[in-house]
Amino acid sequence: MRLGTRRRMRLGDAKMRYFDRLHPLSALVYFLMIILIAMITMHPVITAVCYLTAVIFCGMLIGFGKLLSSLAYSIPLMILIALTNPIFVHKGETILFFLNDNPVTAEAILYGANASMMLMAVFYWCRNYSTIMTSDKFIYLFGRVIPKLSLVLSLTLAFIPKLKRRYKEIDEAQKGLGIYAGKNFTDRILGKFRVLSILLTDSLENALETADSMKARGYGLKGRASYAIYRFTLSDLAFLIATAVFGVGTLTFIALGAADFGFYPSITPINLSIQSCVMYCALAILGFVSVFCEIKENLIWRYWKSKT
Amino acid sequence: MKKDLFAICIVIFILALVFSGVKIQSVDEYYLVHIDDITPESQTVFLTIRCDTILDNWQQLDPALRYEKYVPSDGVILKRHEYVLRDGDTVYDILDRAIRHNKIQMECAYSVNYASVYVKGINHLYEFSCGELSGWMYTVNGIFPNYGCSKYVLRDGDEIVWSYTCDLGRDVGCDWGMQK
Repeated sequence: MRLGTRRRMRLGDAKMRYFDRLHPLSALVYFLMIILIAMITMHPVITAVCYLTAVIFCGMLIGFGKLLSSLAYSIPLMILIALTNPIFVHKGETILFFLNDNPVTAEAILYGANASMMLMAVFYWCRNYSTIMTSDKFIYLFGRVIPKLSLVLSLTLAFIPKLKRRYKEIDEAQKGLGIYAGKNFTDRILGKFRVLSILLTDSLENALETADSMKARGYGLKGRASYAIYRFTLSDLAFLIATAVFGVGTLTFIALGAADFGFYPSITPINLSIQSCVMYCALAILGFVSVFCEIKENLIWRYWKSKT
Repeated sequence: MKKDLFAICIVIFILALVFSGVKIQSVDEYYLVHIDDITPESQTVFLTIRCDTILDNWQQLDPALRYEKYVPSDGVILKRHEYVLRDGDTVYDILDRAIRHNKIQMECAYSVNYASVYVKGINHLYEFSCGELSGWMYTVNGIFPNYGCSKYVLRDGDEIVWSYTCDLGRDVGCDWGMQK
């Protein structure tokens, strides 16, 4: 495949990502589709595929070292959620033991495990979304149609990473001031509380200032043009069509009942009919297409780098 | 250092408080192999558990529960049987003992609002399993007491029936709705 000018222009970048080049519309539809499928059913195969692709894709985007440190938090959290469910739900046939005269069942634990996997799948897909769909892309897509809402949305979606960054800054500043250099653990925790309260005040003020400055620059005024670097190419269209075909296909099979699954009172065996297998395949293709695109991009990037 | 020790003490105290309220039993410990023998001088009550209304509302039943082991074809989960009445026993105590003896699944929760135990499900048949108006109700000597089962103290010879309703009690003969 020959390389277009756009790609060649960006070859100097330290990191090449397929999704950075992809048109925001295709990327948005892709993320919305997979997040919707991950949320819509409790079928373990679907949640597992969504979770796996989310985690692998996340590793491709932010690097596997960072991914590992994030998994170090998320996996214990998953286990915690899985073990919390049987405390509140006592349905199920396979009784392990009795807690305060109510049964703790294997079904409830598995349900909790599946629910936590679904939660993490959605979490990691949202994280991938916010890595790729930076606010400029989002505003490029919706800035003219719904200027106010798109601004609010992009501010909200960018809020958590921004908070994390600001937290680090405040924390370091406080350390630099020597305010909570106390040796004991309790003092350090109280110090963190102070950092949190500073963070909150700061971000409230910041939000107001952002709104004011956007207004001062004439955001959302009539006739205001915006500069766009994105062009809808044939490969973007192909990606969009592939997403639509496999995504809508999976959703149709879910609607037809190929993904019906129940945990209580006993776990339904996993459906292996042709219909269901087609659905699993369609979902797997939809999920892994992003990973494959990134791998392909990496290979091309390395190949060109070694040539020049 | 002093502050740290104090914080650790508080955490340990809270954990101890939580775990002191936890009782863990194995399956064998929970189910009763032996139940009080009926002697000529012992007081007794009768208990039946039935779910025959489900058979009339089969279409509303959760598809996962449409099996003989959950809904017996005669609608009787526990046949009428005589149980020894201990002093101060409530409807809930008798139900609990019978359930444990016959190894039937049951889930209940203590409701603070009503200061009583609420039976959520028996034999995997839960409230709302068969339509929005379904759940477990009990009668003593044919009357529906309008309060929780762990508040009803029984007398000798009482006849308890736990029945599953699919229509807020109207299909099992409860007339609370008609009274004014």
